[in-house]
Amino acid sequence: MSTGEIAIRIKNVGHQFGEAGEARHVRALTDTSLDVVRGELLCLIGPSGCGKSTLLNVIGGLLAPTGGTVEVAGKPVRGPMPGDIAYVFQESALFPWNTVDENIRLGMRFQGVPKSEHAGRAEKSLEAVGLAEFADHYPGQLSGGMRQRAALARALALQTGILLMDEPFGALDEQTRMILGEDLSVLLARTEKTIVFVTHSLGEAVFLADRVAVFSARPGTVKKLIRVDEPHPRNPAFVTSEKFTALRNELYDLLHDEIRAAVASEAPRRRRGANGGAP
Amino acid sequence: MTSIRSSGVATTARPRAGEDPVLSSPLDSRLRGNERIKAARTFLLRHPGIVRLGAVVVILLVWEIAARFFMDPMFISPPSRVFASLGRVLHTAGVPDALQLTFFELAVGFAIAVAIGLPLGLAIGLQPFARRSLMPIVLLVYGMPKITILPLFILFFGIGPESKIAFGVAHGVFPIIITIVAGVQNLKPILLVSARSMGASRWQMLRWVIFPHMIPSFFAGMRLGMSGVLLGVLLAELYVSTAGIGYFTTMFTENFQPTKLFGLIAMLAAMAIALNEMVRRAEHRFNRWR
Repeated sequence: MSTGEIAIRIKNVGHQFGEAGEARHVRALTDTSLDVVRGELLCLIGPSGCGKSTLLNVIGGLLAPTGGTVEVAGKPVRGPMPGDIAYVFQESALFPWNTVDENIRLGMRFQGVPKSEHAGRAEKSLEAVGLAEFADHYPGQLSGGMRQRAALARALALQTGILLMDEPFGALDEQTRMILGEDLSVLLARTEKTIVFVTHSLGEAVFLADRVAVFSARPGTVKKLIRVDEPHPRNPAFVTSEKFTALRNELYDLLHDEIRAAVASEAPRRRRGANGGAP
Repeated sequence: MTSIRSSGVATTARPRAGEDPVLSSPLDSRLRGNERIKAARTFLLRHPGIVRLGAVVVILLVWEIAARFFMDPMFISPPSRVFASLGRVLHTAGVPDALQLTFFELAVGFAIAVAIGLPLGLAIGLQPFARRSLMPIVLLVYGMPKITILPLFILFFGIGPESKIAFGVAHGVFPIIITIVAGVQNLKPILLVSARSMGASRWQMLRWVIFPHMIPSFFAGMRLGMSGVLLGVLLAELYVSTAGIGYFTTMFTENFQPTKLFGLIAMLAAMAIALNEMVRRAEHRFNRWR
């Protein structure tokens, strides 16, 4: 899997929304350092509000952190790097007025791919996700799972070395999720992409990841890194193996305290709000 | 509804009724009658156009009868006579020119209203700060009955076509701004974020994300703007003019020529419907993905 080369270097990244003292001030992420090895799939998991998505947006250049730096391929990230990084978002980010095929071509147009390559690349990426027959469908005509496949195809067509996925299967039902997870594992074994994948699902994290970064409650930082030594593509039988269960349980123990802590830190905030309203 | 229900009850009662030959035959025919009503009902429900046509025919009939037998022919004319007089109205000296002039004012007013309303709506809608600071003013002016300042328009722009165009623009531009602002606002932010992540430039985001998203509200705004311009132009023409349809409607009314008046109004209505239909057709072509 890894040649040991660092694809993404995250150094002391912290981020806060709003200024200290403001009512909406939130310290989402604090002093997070992490190296993502080339070709690996790294899952970010943690309680809600721990800054996983914030970190993903910082890596993708969609958000400038209030502290620290991120380097991609040796260059500091200062904005979107469409040549190196592609995104798959949680909710469907396909343009509803374009067909699946047009969506993929539009992505390539934005990225600046020469027009002569559009047709071939679109076809190849649609085939990779198993949607070749649905090229001329509009997103509104597809199921949720198919829409996310199409979004993945759009990202694949950009042929970036890095893929950022922000809970891409989060809005889907358990079964569709499972199938998409299996297909993704097969697909990724071939592409050798570096992937950072945010998820809430313990099973998904263990099934897909080479390493899982467990986040602490807000302000979030990496609490522990867990390695999943299992070659890609992962077999469905892996889910029922003892190794899987053991890793999943380990994650559960790590996360459980953090989720409790996250909920506890939410509670006084809410109470304070209620008192503020009373005379 | 109840009549259909009771026919259902009657159907279950049929075998018993069949025992008595005297009773059975009228009940049968009544049942067949009910079924015929039911069939007619479902047919009508599937064809709303027939009901629509029927409603128009009824209104025209009532109008025809009222105008022929009950009302003063100085004030109203039956639709049959209006229809028959269309050719004569068109050949009244000055009327073709008036139609042409009003159409010209309408077209120019509409073009100006779109040319101002579209960029202004985009600018206000895309900038939260501009929206918060300027939108209340737009809504205020939109809500103000502009007829009250019509004399000012005449004062500024004279009694020629200029004042009609200006007043038409004043009525048409605000609905366009408001619908476009509303349309821009409900764009899902994720679409812009995803375009940005793929390297889209500002112009590309405008061209490939914001414009396509805006097409429905753009057309809705155009339709509302069109009726606004029509209203403004005609109001100004009615108020003071020496030509145009407004001038002739005033003249026909004051000379007690309701036939010609209604004929002219019919032509005007046809013009408005044709313009509206053109916009609707164009809209339909762009909305295939819905």
